[in-house]
Amino acid sequence: MATYLEFIQQNEERDGVRFSWNVWPSSRLEATRMVVPLACLLTPLKERLDLPPVQYEPVLCSRPTCKAILNPLCQVDYRAKLWACNFCFQRNQFPPAYTGISEVNQPAELMPQFSTIEYVIQRGPQSPLIFLYVVDTCLEEDDLQALKESLQMSLSLLPPDALVGLITFGRMVQVHELSCEGISKSYVFRGTKDLTAKQIQDMLGLTKPAMPMQQARPAQPKEHPFVSSRFLQPVHKIDMNLTDLLGELQRDPWPVTQGKRPLRSTGVALSIAVGLLEGTFPNTGARIMLFTGGPPTQGPGMVVGDELKVPIRSWHDIEKDNARLMKKATKHYEMLANRTAANGHCIDIYACALDQSGLLEMKCCANLTGGYMVMGDSFNTSLFKQTFQRIFSKDFNGDFRMAFGATLEVKTSRELKIAGAIGPCVSLNVKGPCVSENELGVGGTSQWKICGLDPTTTLGIYFEVVNQHNAPIPQGGRGAIQFVTQYQHSSTQRRIRVTTIARNWADAQSQLKHIEAAFDQEAAAVLMARLGVFRAESEEGPDVLRWLDRQLIRLCQKFGQYNKEDATSFRLSESFSLYPQFMFHLRRSPFLQVFNNSPDESSYYRHHFARQDLTQSLIMIQPILYSYSFHGPPEPVLLDSSSILADRILLMDTFFQIVIYLGETIAQWRKAGYQDMPEYENFKHLLQAPLDDAQDILQARFPMPRYIHTEHGGSQARFLLSKVNPSQTHNNLYAWGQESGAPILTDDVSLQVFMDHLKKLAVSSAS
Amino acid sequence: MAELYVKPGNKERGWNDPPQFSYGLQTQAGGPKRNPLTKRVAAPQDGSPRVPTSETSPGPPPMGLPPPSSKSSRPPAMGTCPAPTVEPTDLPVTECETLLEDVLRPLEQALDDCHGHTKKQVCDDISRRLALLQEQWVGGKLSTPVKKRMALLVQELSNHRWDAADDIHRSLMVDHVTEVSQWMVGVKRLIAEKRSLSSEETATATTEENQTTPGVQQDP
Repeated sequence: MATYLEFIQQNEERDGVRFSWNVWPSSRLEATRMVVPLACLLTPLKERLDLPPVQYEPVLCSRPTCKAILNPLCQVDYRAKLWACNFCFQRNQFPPAYTGISEVNQPAELMPQFSTIEYVIQRGPQSPLIFLYVVDTCLEEDDLQALKESLQMSLSLLPPDALVGLITFGRMVQVHELSCEGISKSYVFRGTKDLTAKQIQDMLGLTKPAMPMQQARPAQPKEHPFVSSRFLQPVHKIDMNLTDLLGELQRDPWPVTQGKRPLRSTGVALSIAVGLLEGTFPNTGARIMLFTGGPPTQGPGMVVGDELKVPIRSWHDIEKDNARLMKKATKHYEMLANRTAANGHCIDIYACALDQSGLLEMKCCANLTGGYMVMGDSFNTSLFKQTFQRIFSKDFNGDFRMAFGATLEVKTSRELKIAGAIGPCVSLNVKGPCVSENELGVGGTSQWKICGLDPTTTLGIYFEVVNQHNAPIPQGGRGAIQFVTQYQHSSTQRRIRVTTIARNWADAQSQLKHIEAAFDQEAAAVLMARLGVFRAESEEGPDVLRWLDRQLIRLCQKFGQYNKEDATSFRLSESFSLYPQFMFHLRRSPFLQVFNNSPDESSYYRHHFARQDLTQSLIMIQPILYSYSFHGPPEPVLLDSSSILADRILLMDTFFQIVIYLGETIAQWRKAGYQDMPEYENFKHLLQAPLDDAQDILQARFPMPRYIHTEHGGSQARFLLSKVNPSQTHNNLYAWGQESGAPILTDDVSLQVFMDHLKKLAVSSAS
Repeated sequence: MAELYVKPGNKERGWNDPPQFSYGLQTQAGGPKRNPLTKRVAAPQDGSPRVPTSETSPGPPPMGLPPPSSKSSRPPAMGTCPAPTVEPTDLPVTECETLLEDVLRPLEQALDDCHGHTKKQVCDDISRRLALLQEQWVGGKLSTPVKKRMALLVQELSNHRWDAADDIHRSLMVDHVTEVSQWMVGVKRLIAEKRSLSSEETATATTEENQTTPGVQQDP
């Protein structure tokens, strides 16, 4: 491989892994001096067109405390049929099925190109996927109609043998019995009283073992093992009745008087949904899908009262400790989220309302279980409808892009320990020799549970080098990490994906250049950002920014080239050159700044930031800006106010928004109608080009972003103006000598000022 | 072939609602993807941008330059879909109107075939929905694309191409849910029942064959 960039890209494509450092400092002390921790972004189920799963089970190291999986890094003695574990050096006998192996007849898991491999586990019961719809009926007529249609449509997209159930709620909570015959029945619960799982199961008549988990005999024809649950039935059996049932859903019948909010028992409804699945299908892939059009207003988990004159909490209220219901509600949803995660189920939240709907309090339900969070204005929008459809999209094999009940286990060679993970997961509290005492993110464990995941779900995993200073470079010269993800594939198979990677150790004193050159600044930026956002959930905003700033300054001090006290001499090598600007934009991003965002919006943005892959995360940190003009093909341009020119069209992608902005001249031409004149056909093409590119982004993105088409002077141009670096403001405009670009009316510091300060601090001996 | 179109989002209800892609476009994955727009320009290390300037004077746009689109490097797969701002266009209008008879009769025939195989109650349910389809069709409540695609669906059904028929049903549910949601589930069920009936018939046929040649089965 020619360059580190290619190496990094190849590794990401093959293993779904991006490390902050690709050559590792060989001692604990040196590693801490690198500032950015040794960490990686891992996409456990990254889509691989060229990775057919093997139909046998992995071979494990026989040492009970190790159990690492045979991989290409293991040393193999083909004559004695032995292999040495590369993590604990245990020598293992190959199982009988491997007697035929030799140098020329290797099983796939020993071949270097299978550093990532997937096994299909044949044993164990196969259970169908489960989808439990929890539907708010306190919606406007128009919204409810659109939601009903989307739900009816989803029955056509679900796998025919999936089980589906329906709970509706408003002032009361109704659990609908699904049957093919007779009249439809439902169980009604009060929305004000929380019930224990046991009470719910008693009341629904589920106490008798509802799940005869018999040994899976593959050829079991007619009788489905799961018929016993009246509330969860296979789609192919009840699709007609459920379509009618959904079609007949009415708005919550309780009158809502002037000045009141409807009474919405979201907390109890979710509690019943969790309890229902807990009693019937523990440890089976299941999605609870909550569709809600406003905040919970009564019972446990209530976020705001029903008096409209009392507004829902804002960041201001939270800072002033004036959000009366927040803590109690959050506690309720955290309890539910933890139970759901323990059961191996996930909770999606689809919140469509113009005001806040309590995502701040409910966020843990999605964040801890790997569920989706979608925020829209109305169910009758393309944003909701298409986002919802994409949940059921399929991959090139025709399998659903969703997986369930995963456990991720990380094994390391002895010089490394695991500090923690950040992503849509919960700790499984598995201690062991490779678990560090220092926590970064969710730590103190070598295993995490991810109840719902898709091929893009990405975790940040943080490590600690524990090799002592002055100790020699460890044996073999390389450190290794193995990621073992066991999960339920959407085809209901149990599968195990194993990725084993190794990187070189280097002595940071004599070989700093090697370490430096193998720095992946994109991965580092995202990994540091995840740490920052993780801290922001519990710490004050300014503290997080100060922490980020300190890290950046230390990194520049360590890796910059400069003469002491001479800021003008400061330079960063190419592998670090983008890092400061990522940090600059991260500081301004909605992940760390709550100004101008509601607590719900902040929760929504942070939810997506903590689960997307590197490319998408980086777009969120520093949006992409492309320019379209007559001067050449479309090209990326600086995310800077100087890029906003009259004769350009700009396309900006912030992940959550796609903005198309017509420069002043372009907008005038369009107003004059040049695009309709045959002799100016090229202008028509110019107008069309960014639309086509935007369409490509829109078609692939999940969730659907908002789509903004604006022009110079348009009110919505603010979305662009608030993201670009304000290099020209009303304060310094005339210093440039000419009017070019677009001055931004802001007192925010620009990247230039930021860099000036950074350099001063980096070269200063005082800091 | 599913419909390929993009229609504007619901700006009334959703702030900056994105355009809506048809089922055909959503599922039209695969094919070589163009380079995604993910490139960035590095700011110079002192942070101050070069100051580019507009080169075009505010006269009319220049004429005759090649279209500055990145499209030239892309496969023409998207050629069939109009621009995002364009209303969904109906399939090219052919002269002959789709007749209700042509759609309904094969469906009813299929339902008749299923009697005996399928529970009576399910048959009644399907039949109720076919009546609803008829009623809406006669009442002029169904749009041309829906009628056309129903005709295609029936063709696939008659030719025992279950997956194709099922896919058309799905595309109709996604693209025209408001029109079809009430009765389409009956058609969906009919496809499923017909498929299971046909596979059962095949199975019986093979068993019978086997029974006529018992020697084959007894072979070790």
